[in-house]
Amino acid sequence: MSKIPLNFRLNGKDVSIEVDPGRRMLDVLREDLGLTGTKEGCAVGECGACTVVLNGEAVASCLVLAGQMDGAEIYTIEGMSETQIGRILQDCFVEGDAVQCGFCTPGFIMSAYALLKKNPHPTREQIREAVAGNVCRCTGYVPIVSAIEKAGEKLPD
Amino acid sequence: MEFQSYKKVGSVEECVSALKQIEGGVVLLAGGTDVLVKAREGHRYADKTVVDIYGIPELCGISETETELVIGAGTTHAQIAGSPLVRWQAGVLADACRTVGSPQIRNHATIGGNIANASPAADSLAALAVLEAEIEVNHLGEIRRMPLEDAIEKPYRTTLGDRDLITRVIVKKIPHGSRCNFYKLGRRNALSISRMTIATLLNTDEAGKVTTFHMTMGATFPKPMLFDDIDQMLIGKIPSEADIDAVAEALSNKIPQIAGIRPSTVYKQPVCRKMVKRILTQMLGGNEHE
Repeated sequence: MSKIPLNFRLNGKDVSIEVDPGRRMLDVLREDLGLTGTKEGCAVGECGACTVVLNGEAVASCLVLAGQMDGAEIYTIEGMSETQIGRILQDCFVEGDAVQCGFCTPGFIMSAYALLKKNPHPTREQIREAVAGNVCRCTGYVPIVSAIEKAGEKLPD
Repeated sequence: MEFQSYKKVGSVEECVSALKQIEGGVVLLAGGTDVLVKAREGHRYADKTVVDIYGIPELCGISETETELVIGAGTTHAQIAGSPLVRWQAGVLADACRTVGSPQIRNHATIGGNIANASPAADSLAALAVLEAEIEVNHLGEIRRMPLEDAIEKPYRTTLGDRDLITRVIVKKIPHGSRCNFYKLGRRNALSISRMTIATLLNTDEAGKVTTFHMTMGATFPKPMLFDDIDQMLIGKIPSEADIDAVAEALSNKIPQIAGIRPSTVYKQPVCRKMVKRILTQMLGGNEHE
């Protein structure tokens, strides 16, 4: 199959590449661009490990076809240290022991980033709803929700 | 994902002309959250051309006429759930869209895709049924409108062809002062496939007499259905406990009548009876929705 050109903004930088249109966004990120921070868990949109932010919304990159990246603004875990929200989230996750094995962490951070970008001071209930599509088998979720809540407290109005 | 070729289109016109030109089978891909999962089963789409309609501006957004809400087929579940217009004029649909999948799925999956996939467990369908939804379909430039019930034939099967593009979903605005309710029974909150949904729309006059009543279930019947006999049961009445019990009994009897006796029937019937009773009692108790 002939390749298709894609132009998009990834973590604040313009990217132009040619990809096989049968690829998923997850494959483009991990294999074509070498950004392996985004994880593949279930591959059917149920675990949230592959969550990235596409045009301001958290999406499962295993269920986005490559062509849908064209013209989009995309953030992955690799871009988070360049953003204020991302840096605060990182600190709060580390300080709050919200990371154990770490496999789910990039997905949680991206869901949290999408939430805090729209709603910098969410309630615990809003946080729980925003990360409802992310599965963690280690922490029991409480430290994760608390870390995101803490990040919200640290963010300026 | 394995397919023969890929075509991205930016407008309905471009889509129609692509559908005219392409030879062989086509898969219309909107959000793709169902198609990409199904594509993992063998070589299902190996000989198909994928026409990617994601983000076509004309297919996105929600508008209103005097009596109807017009929802672009490419509107996501998150956009519908968050729309003040839908919340106000068709709240049952906002509630239903809010329970679909997870935030990640709701942000990408579209209402048109949910209909085209025709999963019997699709959360939007029972809500669309009580709102007497119709869909607008563009077949190679020819536009027709049809009731949702006629568009879905049976589980995962629509009456639409692969050149039929769902462009809009049209629902009736609920009468002023109406109450609605959407109940979902799943194994957990997020990402659970519905075992049963119940969508209800009810309006009463000043005396408390029921003027409008629609109540149906999702994830239970092979397609979205409304039942005239059920809907007539409360009209003109100030419903008593016995009237509510009668509706609960009648609706639960539809399960074996329509879906046949299945392993889940012994479980679903009592849940249906109990929930119908609870929902109607609450709704008639004056707890106005929003």
